[in-house]
Amino acid sequence: MKAELSPRTRTALYGLMCVLLIPFVFPTWWMVTSSIKPISDIFAFPPQLIPQSYDWTTYSKVFELQPFVRQYWNSAYIAALVTVGTMVVSSMAGYAFARIRFPYANTIFMIVLLGLLIPSEVTIVPLFQMFLKAGMVNTHWPLILVPIFGAPSVFATFVMRQFFVTLPAELEEAARVDGLGRFKIFAKIALPLAKPALASVAIFTFLHSWNLFLEPIVFLSSAEMFTLPQALTQYTDAYGGPMWNIQLAAATLTALPVLIVFVIAQKQFVEGLAHTGLKG
Amino acid sequence: MADVTLSDIRKSYGALKTIHGVNLDIRDGEFVVLVGPSGCGKSTLLRMIAGLETITDGTLKIGDRRVNDLDPKDRDIAMVFQSYALYPHMTVATNMGFSLEHRGANKAEINERVNWAAGILGLTNLLDRYPRQLSGGQRQRVAMGRAIVRNPQVFLFDEPLSNLDAKLRVVMRGEIKALHRRLKTTTIYVTHDQVEAMTMADRIVVLNGGRVEQIGAPLDLYDRPANQFVAGFIGSPSMNFLTGTITEQGFQTSDVVLPLPASKGTVMGQAIVYGIRPEHFRLNDHPGRASVSAEIVLIEPMGSETQVTMRLGDTQVIGVFRERISGTTGDIINISLDIDAIHLFSGDGAIRLN
Repeated sequence: MKAELSPRTRTALYGLMCVLLIPFVFPTWWMVTSSIKPISDIFAFPPQLIPQSYDWTTYSKVFELQPFVRQYWNSAYIAALVTVGTMVVSSMAGYAFARIRFPYANTIFMIVLLGLLIPSEVTIVPLFQMFLKAGMVNTHWPLILVPIFGAPSVFATFVMRQFFVTLPAELEEAARVDGLGRFKIFAKIALPLAKPALASVAIFTFLHSWNLFLEPIVFLSSAEMFTLPQALTQYTDAYGGPMWNIQLAAATLTALPVLIVFVIAQKQFVEGLAHTGLKG
Repeated sequence: MADVTLSDIRKSYGALKTIHGVNLDIRDGEFVVLVGPSGCGKSTLLRMIAGLETITDGTLKIGDRRVNDLDPKDRDIAMVFQSYALYPHMTVATNMGFSLEHRGANKAEINERVNWAAGILGLTNLLDRYPRQLSGGQRQRVAMGRAIVRNPQVFLFDEPLSNLDAKLRVVMRGEIKALHRRLKTTTIYVTHDQVEAMTMADRIVVLNGGRVEQIGAPLDLYDRPANQFVAGFIGSPSMNFLTGTITEQGFQTSDVVLPLPASKGTVMGQAIVYGIRPEHFRLNDHPGRASVSAEIVLIEPMGSETQVTMRLGDTQVIGVFRERISGTTGDIINISLDIDAIHLFSGDGAIRLN
């Protein structure tokens, strides 16, 4: 039941929300406006919240100084593959943990979940040695395989399992009577109903892969292979100092697709998380 | 259509035995209702027939085939679930045609069968809707449509009306019965509602604690229950039971003596259970007729009849009278008993004596 708020409470509430919004909105605003400021204006005091003069050449320099289109493509296709791969792995694993009775299912699931507790920094060195032996260093394979079969996928599996657990058993029994085997029940009944959970898995997997930083700097060494977060660190002058406005222009371009995806899909994202029983 | 034969069917979950050797022959085209209290094993038995639960021991035949180890899809059965189990992401038409589609039927055939079933069930205008856009009764009909579209040998219904309100339940009861009359498909129907069982069944199977208590036509069960459990389960309000002994004068319970019907199975001094249905009490307005006095505890006028809770000796009984009765708690009324409608059971209630 929705309680009616008095106008005074409502005003106070909106006021509070505006204040709380500042730490979230200000960095984005600063990034976007600073990307078109001359570098001297970025450090001007008092700070210029609204740019006084505009320098649009920063955006063309982003593409001149680095193979930015190539790096954009790298990030995009890696994120797409990781997203699709994680959706496949986590939906199947989540379904199995939720629906198939096999010995020690819960124990195995707990062990899998424990993987979430291991920081990626701990495993990065052995992973590097493994991929080095396999001749995959300075390729995109580690950035694709590690998230699909590593910790991000574990979280996705957890989300999918929580969804499949709530699916009524009678639906599957009806499908069995209708003549479907286990895999077809999964593909034709369970998976289409899991769209909200899949959507949230897709969004956070995409975000995770898009923002991945440690793994690229460990595994990749040539500019042509870089992904965006790594590329952002390359906009430096001859002395190694950052070219702030160009770097922020590149950061703006990097954040753009993520913002667009989130704005479009935020409803599914929230619904999907609601299904897991998690509150964020 | 086919016979269904259960021979010594048993079910255990580890050491826990839930079904203890059920034998049942269901004839081709028959409508059999499995009824019993919660936990009596009726749904488990139905699910074993469907193939959704394994059979621990015994033989299950559909037609001439032993189907114990067959998958549900290979048993040629269709099932209507309590929650209907319609696929939420498919339209009514897709839901109904899904099993045919999966079995490789061509599109024209699927359309023809779906339209035929929709016509019978009054769903023709709803074929493009999704389950969430339907009322409870409509969903129920779609679930039945999904079952009949395939023309299976046996229909299985698992408490299909329990999610509907009382009024709609009566309507759907009639529709299921009409559907059975039309299709004449062997039907096994599970319910805990004895009214549903009485009104729908050709034969009722009363289950209790994983055992069959009695099998018979509804009125046979009502008129001649095989034991105290069946007597108490079938009929609403349920049969009154008094415990006492057989004496020269009749049946003695506390300080009250009630008339006894002729019975070969009783001996003098034997402790028995004396059963009488609420409608078999009469108000004794004939001065010459033998009567007993009862103290009124509660009068509940229902309009068409009056339900009176009375104290007969030490036991509280319920009587249903056609007459309107005036009186208050503590008043004494004279009643007589319909001696032909009295049921005598052994002291432990396990055997019928008359």
